[in-house]
Amino acid sequence: MPNVLRADGITVKFGGLTAVNDVSLSLGSGEILGLIGPNGAGKTTLFNAVTGFAPMHSGRITFLDQDITGLPAFKRTRLGFGRTFQTERPFEELTVLENVLVAAFLTVGRRSEAERIARSVLEQVGLADRAHQPALDLNLARRRRLELAKALAVKPKVIFLDEIMAGLNPPALREMIAFVRSLTAQGLAVLMVEHIMEAIIELSDHVIVLASGEKIAEGTPHQVTSDERVIEAYLGTD
Amino acid sequence: MTKHLIGLGLLLAAGIAYPAIFPNNLTIAISVLLFAGWATSWDLLGGWNGQVSLGHASFVGLGAYFVAIGQSQFGLAPWWTMAMAAAFAAILGYFWGWLTFSLRGPYFSLSTIAVAEILRLVAINEDWLTGGATGVFIATLPEPFGIDLFSRTAQFYMALAFAAVVIATVIVISRARFGFQLRAVREDEDSAMAAGIDPTATKLKAFMLSAALTSIGGGIYGIVLAFIEPHVMFALLLSVQIALTAIIGGRGTIWGPAAGALVLVGAGEMFRTTFAEANMLIYGILILVVVLFVPRGIVGELARRHIRRLYAKRAQS
Repeated sequence: MPNVLRADGITVKFGGLTAVNDVSLSLGSGEILGLIGPNGAGKTTLFNAVTGFAPMHSGRITFLDQDITGLPAFKRTRLGFGRTFQTERPFEELTVLENVLVAAFLTVGRRSEAERIARSVLEQVGLADRAHQPALDLNLARRRRLELAKALAVKPKVIFLDEIMAGLNPPALREMIAFVRSLTAQGLAVLMVEHIMEAIIELSDHVIVLASGEKIAEGTPHQVTSDERVIEAYLGTD
Repeated sequence: MTKHLIGLGLLLAAGIAYPAIFPNNLTIAISVLLFAGWATSWDLLGGWNGQVSLGHASFVGLGAYFVAIGQSQFGLAPWWTMAMAAAFAAILGYFWGWLTFSLRGPYFSLSTIAVAEILRLVAINEDWLTGGATGVFIATLPEPFGIDLFSRTAQFYMALAFAAVVIATVIVISRARFGFQLRAVREDEDSAMAAGIDPTATKLKAFMLSAALTSIGGGIYGIVLAFIEPHVMFALLLSVQIALTAIIGGRGTIWGPAAGALVLVGAGEMFRTTFAEANMLIYGILILVVVLFVPRGIVGELARRHIRRLYAKRAQS
């Protein structure tokens, strides 16, 4: 499988604290990579370093054979990154449609074209009937779907999902899992940070487990969930 | 967009007829129009892009000084000097933004006060160019197509054209990609970056456009006053008035700043003739009312209610 994204030896430091230490990962098109680990393991920090939202101390990132280390986040988006935020960040004063239009305008300049893209993405995530609602008024599950819509409207080649399953009720969770799977069918590569094991096990082709900023295990979902170091990191030793 | 452009066309038609109907109330109308144009220009940066400037008198002053000095010292016609002022204002905006847009929060706003203050000091001290504290006097003006630019009617039409062009610019931008970039950066810079938007570049463009448009109105103001003094042109009070006009009318809305100009200048004038210095009181009371009861401004609040009603209706059907 051709590599879409490669990150080698990513290290992120905050002052004297090493939040992520020498972690590497790679991701092919149509593949889902799950990133798990206990709280404070450095998942979101790694995620932000790869997407360009947090500065790295050292490491190298290549995307479609292009070195993008040090490129600002908005330029990574232009190359084909799409991301959601852990705490949803809609443009609150804008309507649902306008939120997605902002992203759709990345690839097209004409309003009518952008609107066509935005409406088709809203259709895809099931928010078409909410198009004219102020984004501020959406409930949690719909805000999540709006985050997804914004990430998809930039027409990404790789999409980064930061805990989009958290807090969803069981039916909404099932829907979201099915939706993420449908993304890979279009050849999209997915990197997801997730706490919900059900989603990780069901979706991931490959899982990386972080603890205290280090990669402690890597493999298929079943390999890592039976790994002793992983169980130890989650449950502790006696 | 067409709806707004038609509205603007109708207002423009009413404006063209105005001097024939109210020939004795031109000065106040010029004031309303200039403030409408300035506040709308300010709002491109302050409302649509969320970067509150308290230094827009800088650009008013630049426009006025360019026109006055160009005319009195170099014999340059106002249309040339206005274009030069606009270019200079944009360049100044670019450098100031480049220096200060990395400051988040109130620091950008505070720093803009300094721009006007620096320009005021330059105007006072470089008297070989600016006439110093005494100021510059425009004694002659060209007469394009035989039009006397000193006449209030001609000045009214210039101010009308200025306000109309600025509002038309905002109407077009509000629907275009740039308008969405402006608002995205205002709402959330990280989220804007996730949509591929460069926040700094967006703010710089907004600042440059806002500064250039404001300075054109400043040039017209120079012609209207015919006598330009540094402490009037670069006054903090003027900067604050421009910002308040937009805020009270409704930030980030097409018609808000113009409505604000009508209310503030109109009411201010009415009360000034009756209560002398009480126009400052009106500002105070209006600000208080807006902050307490309609924080989105007059038009902002109306628009919000309209959107909600519209949505409620769609949700029912």
